[in-house]
Amino acid sequence: MKQALVDDTEDVSLDFGNEEELAFRKAKIRHPLATFFHLFFRVSAIVTYVGCDWFSRSFVGCFVTVLLLLSFDFWSVKNVTGRLMVGLRWWNQVDEDGKSHWIFEARKVSPNNITATEAEARIFWLGLIICPIIWIVFFFSTLFSLKLKWLALVIAGISLQAANLYGYILCKMGGESDISKAAASFLSQTVFQTACPRDFEKPGLEGLEIHKC
Amino acid sequence: MAEAAESPGDPRTTSPRPLMRDLKAVGKKFMHVLYPRKSNTLLRDWDLWGPLVLCVTLALMLQRGSADNENDGGPQFAEVFVIIWFGAVTITLNSKLLGGNISFFQSLCVLGYCILPLTVALLVCRLVLLAKPGPINFIVRLFVVIVMFAWSIVASTAFLADSQPPNRKALAIYPVFLFYFVISWMILTFAP
Repeated sequence: MKQALVDDTEDVSLDFGNEEELAFRKAKIRHPLATFFHLFFRVSAIVTYVGCDWFSRSFVGCFVTVLLLLSFDFWSVKNVTGRLMVGLRWWNQVDEDGKSHWIFEARKVSPNNITATEAEARIFWLGLIICPIIWIVFFFSTLFSLKLKWLALVIAGISLQAANLYGYILCKMGGESDISKAAASFLSQTVFQTACPRDFEKPGLEGLEIHKC
Repeated sequence: MAEAAESPGDPRTTSPRPLMRDLKAVGKKFMHVLYPRKSNTLLRDWDLWGPLVLCVTLALMLQRGSADNENDGGPQFAEVFVIIWFGAVTITLNSKLLGGNISFFQSLCVLGYCILPLTVALLVCRLVLLAKPGPINFIVRLFVVIVMFAWSIVASTAFLADSQPPNRKALAIYPVFLFYFVISWMILTFAP
């Protein structure tokens, strides 16, 4: 009697586990929360900046809100979404004698590892590239319309977003020293999808490539 | 969890809870500023969250003008922001040009965190300003600002002085002195 009970529960739990993992592997977006937050902070910052005049007349309130959103976005993209969505990370390390090193890593692709899905990678990179471009447009519009008090905020926005973009590009490039070649091939893969989805994951993810500078 | 086993890396990103790590690191640095001790480990783990929070707090509290005014303290807010960040960047460039052994962001980190005593001074000044205006009021504020100014200088030189060659220490420190002096001046001359 007891034996049968044990057998029953064993069977049930095994199937349940497999089912979950299968669903996870088949899902188009494996980290929905990370994907959401990756875009949420960036887009909110832009929307708040643009809609400032309608939401409230307060310059200070708007400034602080946009700045906080930009900071949260910087932190979450650098520490969480890059790691979860595309398996890349970068950071700064200061060693014993005060020398600072910037380290860029790409996660090794292996059968045990859950790698990035195509949809997540596309969302990640498009979000990463388009937002700094929008902030650069804001920079010029602020400059030419002479609303100079906003300039500090726009410059902060550009710096924070461009920093993440630059860091992740260096991670992705891995050992390639020719920036223009890497940029051209990368852009064609991401935006135009000329390469097949399998190839997309290969460059920069062959081994654990650590690019130090 | 699997990532931590893969490779040694920045403990901040290999940990499954990077948020708590970063918050604890920020808190630890604030404590170090309040009780300045020479500590190499503090400098190595730099972050700019403390300076951002302090800068925004300072800029918010140093505003003049009423809230429903069109010109609601906008220029003063941006001024404080620009003075602090531009000043910190200039000092860092200066110390690097003098042959300092400290990285750009570490120096920004130290200078930003050492604004904490002056932020406390501003809080105290605002409270004191609620009382009756007069010479005593001013003397109290002056005393508080001077004490906090000295505290900021002591805290920052405890970390920064070591990174300079011995004959250049004074040259590297006097811009720090000027930087905190300007901020102290803004705090002392503040009137709501």
